[in-house]
Amino acid sequence: MSTLTLKERFSLSRFSIGEKATDKPVTLNQRRIFILPTDRGLGFAILIALLLLIAFVYNNNLAYLLAFLLASIFFITILHSYRSLSGLVLRSGQSKPVFSGQAAGFNIHIDNSTNKERLQLKISLLQTTETISLSAHNQAQVVLHSATDNRGWQKAGTLTISSTYPLGLFRAWSPLRFNLNVLVYPKPANTELPFPETPASQSEQGTAPAHKGNDDFFGLQSYQPGDAIKHIHWKSYAKGLGVFSKQYDGESSDQIWLNYIQTPGHGIEERLSQLCRWLIDAEQAGISYGFSIPGLKLEPANGQHHYQKCLEALALFETS
Amino acid sequence: MSINKNILLFLLAAIGLIALPHIENLPSSVTGYFYLLLSWRLVGVWKPQWLPTKLMLLLLTVIGIAILYSLHEGIFGRDAGTRLFVTALGLKLLEIKSERDLYLIIFLAFIVATSLFLYQQSIFMAAYILVVCCVLLGTLVCINSSHSKTWHSLKTAGVIIAQALPMTIVIFILFPRVEAPKWMYFNDKHQAKTGLGDNMEPGTISDLAMSDELVFRVQFTGTIPPPAQRYWRGPVLTQTDGKRWTQNRIDLSQPIDQPKLTGNPYQYILLMEPQDKNWVFALALPADVSSPLRRNSHYQLVTSANPDKRTEYRITSYPTYNTGTITKDEYQEATQLPGPASANVTQLVQRLHGFDSPPDKFISQLLNHFKTEDFYYTLTPPLMQENPIEQFLFESHRGFCEHYATAFVYLMRVAHIPARIVTGYQGGELNQVGNFLDIKQAYAHAWAEVWLENRGWVRIDPTAAIAPERIEQNINIDQQVANGIISFTPNSASAAVDWLKNARQLWGNVDYQWQRWVINYDNKNQSKFLSSLGISDLKTMIYWMAGIIGLITAVLSWVLLRNPGQPTDPAVLAYQRFCKKLVVKGLIKRPGEGAKDFSKRAKKSLPEQAASIDLITQLFIKLHYGKQQNNNDLQRFESLVARFNFKH
Amino acid sequence: MHNDLEQLLQTANQIILGKPRQIRLAVCCLLARGHLLIEDIPGVGKTTLSHTLAKLLGLNYQRIQFTSDILPADIIGASVFNAQTHSFSFHPGAIFNQMVLADEINRATPKAQSALLEAMEEHQVTVEGKTYPLPAPFFVIATQNPTHQIGTFPLPESQLDRFLMRIELGYPDLRAEKALLSGQRRHDLIDSLPVKLAPERLHQLQKAVTRVHASDALLDYCLAIINYTRSSPDYHCGLSPRAGLALLTAAKAWAFMNQRDAVIPEDIQAVLAAVAGHRLRSGNTNSEAIVQPILTNVAVL
Repeated sequence: MSTLTLKERFSLSRFSIGEKATDKPVTLNQRRIFILPTDRGLGFAILIALLLLIAFVYNNNLAYLLAFLLASIFFITILHSYRSLSGLVLRSGQSKPVFSGQAAGFNIHIDNSTNKERLQLKISLLQTTETISLSAHNQAQVVLHSATDNRGWQKAGTLTISSTYPLGLFRAWSPLRFNLNVLVYPKPANTELPFPETPASQSEQGTAPAHKGNDDFFGLQSYQPGDAIKHIHWKSYAKGLGVFSKQYDGESSDQIWLNYIQTPGHGIEERLSQLCRWLIDAEQAGISYGFSIPGLKLEPANGQHHYQKCLEALALFETS
Repeated sequence: MSINKNILLFLLAAIGLIALPHIENLPSSVTGYFYLLLSWRLVGVWKPQWLPTKLMLLLLTVIGIAILYSLHEGIFGRDAGTRLFVTALGLKLLEIKSERDLYLIIFLAFIVATSLFLYQQSIFMAAYILVVCCVLLGTLVCINSSHSKTWHSLKTAGVIIAQALPMTIVIFILFPRVEAPKWMYFNDKHQAKTGLGDNMEPGTISDLAMSDELVFRVQFTGTIPPPAQRYWRGPVLTQTDGKRWTQNRIDLSQPIDQPKLTGNPYQYILLMEPQDKNWVFALALPADVSSPLRRNSHYQLVTSANPDKRTEYRITSYPTYNTGTITKDEYQEATQLPGPASANVTQLVQRLHGFDSPPDKFISQLLNHFKTEDFYYTLTPPLMQENPIEQFLFESHRGFCEHYATAFVYLMRVAHIPARIVTGYQGGELNQVGNFLDIKQAYAHAWAEVWLENRGWVRIDPTAAIAPERIEQNINIDQQVANGIISFTPNSASAAVDWLKNARQLWGNVDYQWQRWVINYDNKNQSKFLSSLGISDLKTMIYWMAGIIGLITAVLSWVLLRNPGQPTDPAVLAYQRFCKKLVVKGLIKRPGEGAKDFSKRAKKSLPEQAASIDLITQLFIKLHYGKQQNNNDLQRFESLVARFNFKH
Repeated sequence: MHNDLEQLLQTANQIILGKPRQIRLAVCCLLARGHLLIEDIPGVGKTTLSHTLAKLLGLNYQRIQFTSDILPADIIGASVFNAQTHSFSFHPGAIFNQMVLADEINRATPKAQSALLEAMEEHQVTVEGKTYPLPAPFFVIATQNPTHQIGTFPLPESQLDRFLMRIELGYPDLRAEKALLSGQRRHDLIDSLPVKLAPERLHQLQKAVTRVHASDALLDYCLAIINYTRSSPDYHCGLSPRAGLALLTAAKAWAFMNQRDAVIPEDIQAVLAAVAGHRLRSGNTNSEAIVQPILTNVAVL
């Protein structure tokens, strides 16, 4: 692990925001873990003071002894609190892109390679808190959800792992920052607009031949040069009806172009949102779609890869 | 409500335990009220709908306050404070809404636990509280670990307590003790204690004869006096109305002649149990008395310390002494009679040559009279209402020590010999384990002192003169027999009860040390103990405390926080030692590198060592990954690693 | 026992020059009763390798050239109407051979691919309600062109999982290539190869492989690798439990080939790229590069 400069070491932000964001696994150690008493811990301290007072007034040694015992326990709990976090290794995982408005899930891996059980670890990110327990030599994955409202890359920010084990008198915590980003796609519009009409000129621009399905027989169509020979309906040819080729379902010349400029809507966000809706629908319908926004043009295609590429372009459109 | 049922049960059990010993200390109305609330809460664990509503809770609070008010104690002081906290704890139990309430309840429970120590400080109570504390902490662990396994939480709490104990002991020893200022004392009413009083009439001492209650303990620094010498002097009674004997009314603080003390003194530490009176029972004759002790003109020790507290005194006593002359006042006091003696008495004195022979002759005649005539020593003498002395001397012939002592002194006074009654304790059970004496109420005794020319006040114990065969066997006085007041060979000591006696003595010793070193470890004892270690002032005390706590913390941190991922397989540990040796040669095993690959690399750069590297690696692979391991291989492997060295 | 294996490897090395490691892995795969996927450009000796192995093992051998119009029936066989007997009779497909070379598997449609892969998995074929067992031993070597070539259907991940190993042959080095050019025609050489390991022997060896010991410590290492792939951001998805089993089986076979009766971490490391390379998705395409982070980061002890 890199060492800190003097300035970094004493910077206050280390307590709340954490150190520089990192991709690497982070091992919790004395540099990362902070401990302060909780309000219950302060209550416990007041209790000890009260017991000491009773012991003092009545000059009662057993009362003294109990007060000292509680004080020692209070003190030792600091070590236990530290132990509840130390040695844990946290690592950021992959996060799946989401549509704006959906909760983004950030994956965090926690690895307990020690032979101690870790109980009641709280991992929190903004408002969400997950509580897990880790047995010795075990690991867990925590998904922390955070609300999204703007498209583009959303940073996870500082996540905090904390524990009040064993007695709840102290809270040990460690603020951590990972290079943890999730891509937020625009929010799909709710409107049910039909797909845009594709001008023929644009359709011809598509150089990749529309991929024809050959699963289920669909009907006959007059032969177009380039149709596979095995698709020729020889029976009708023999009857002298002309050359037809068999059409199969899935074989679709449907091809649409989703073009930013032709998308209705006020402002960028509304248009993107409409494009997003179309993308989802087109992908679901299995239609080949071309995609064009200023600065990027993708030839018509279909499939997860293409779909994600398009959505990514939408998400990052004109964001710095 | 989100509180786990297990946690609640756990907590209620702990609370029930914590208040249990208070049944003895508190009025039944308070404890009854408390346990009613506790049971209600317990039922509420399964039937939450039965828990009191807000209004009912208010009503219950009013009832609680009413109970407290009816006891007229206010809210300060031991009893009042304890009642208040117990009541508050009970009420709080019915209002558990969040985790915060649980914490408050546990804090209250700790206060109630402390209040128990104000009533009783025995070792049992301390152990009991320790166990209950463990349960309370276990509840906290439960809350913070979402653990359903309560046993696990209890274990964790126990471990934490065990880890905290060394530090607790160090703080206990070194934390500066300061007496609380006087205004902080609360006036608490105390239960009357049994014990010797400032007056005596027939039956006063025999009432104590069955009491096993401890009065004080004595530890001698040198030799222990023989049983016959163990007379612990208490109040001296001089005035009598023929039946009742009281202390005289003259000023006991008036100066008297310093007695001449000779011979070897006994030095001892006397640990007085809490008493009503400020008397300290010392062997005759205490000398070099210093504050808070004072010796009055009856050579009795009185203390200015609070007798209600267990206190330790260091006393020196000289067994041989001569008190010298007698003052006029003293003489008058010591020859006082309620009226003229009856004919019977005068006749008896006459017969024993009381009027015509020297005092010591008369004394021996009288003692001989007790011995040869038909006198019995019994705990249950017949009731003597009218004139107990004469009744005893001429009719019943049966009595306890007070009868003999009063009769003796009375007869002495009739013969114009100054005499007085001394009450106190006689004997003491030697604890062979701790080498100290236990003096119990049962050893209460009364004897006589006569003033003799040239000898001063001399102790005479008329009870000792009774013939052994006339001691009633059915009474429980074998202690006094053993102590030599009454000399006859006891036959009660059988081997079977021997170990029981030993065990009792062992326990007695533990208890004594507990009292001395724990309960009674006050600022005086502390400074004495610490200066014997060379720690004399507050500053050094605090330095030491900080230093030792720091040390304990360091040890604990090491134990708790040492590299937790360490493998425990001895083969792996040995292999790691081997790898460490190779580091010197710049060979560092990469984490992802297997042993075999590493050995290839090592052999390449250390061709001379190739054979042993190969052997070690092969053995390690066999041990760590092989089908069957045997211990021989492991030993061989470990010794190979140990012998693996580079020739220089 | 190991002598036969060594001889087999030696002979194979004389035919396929400069690829001892790949041959070793292929034999390891065979011993672990897994199927092999060879991914490389045409002409580097994929066919030669499989043919050689078939010859040396005395297995009957069939090559299926996968094309875009191959039908499932071509692979597994079909019931054919016999006009004379007026009944259907089953004509077994090419798959009914002990060693099958599925050449250029990614040229075929998914339907044909899955027919092959199902048969591989179940060691039997079901046609029109009737089940026909495949011969034993049954070993499929599939070859695949790199996916970026036009007109291919790359095998989906779920199907890739059915191959125990994927290896890349790569171009031979200069010396080997020169020897290749100056030597006899490979085809003739293969035809004259003797059987080095009879099928019964192979069966015995396969059984022996299962008896290789895997200690607790080794299983921990294996688990650490699996967990690493599941948690590391380097990989889109981690190794499945089936992949973990495959890794252990392959490592056992590798340990057996190296005449050890217990698996050591080096065995796992040796087969890791071949076993895990095609099961992990990461930015890299090269198997060795894919597993490199595992080898460096997962601690052995």
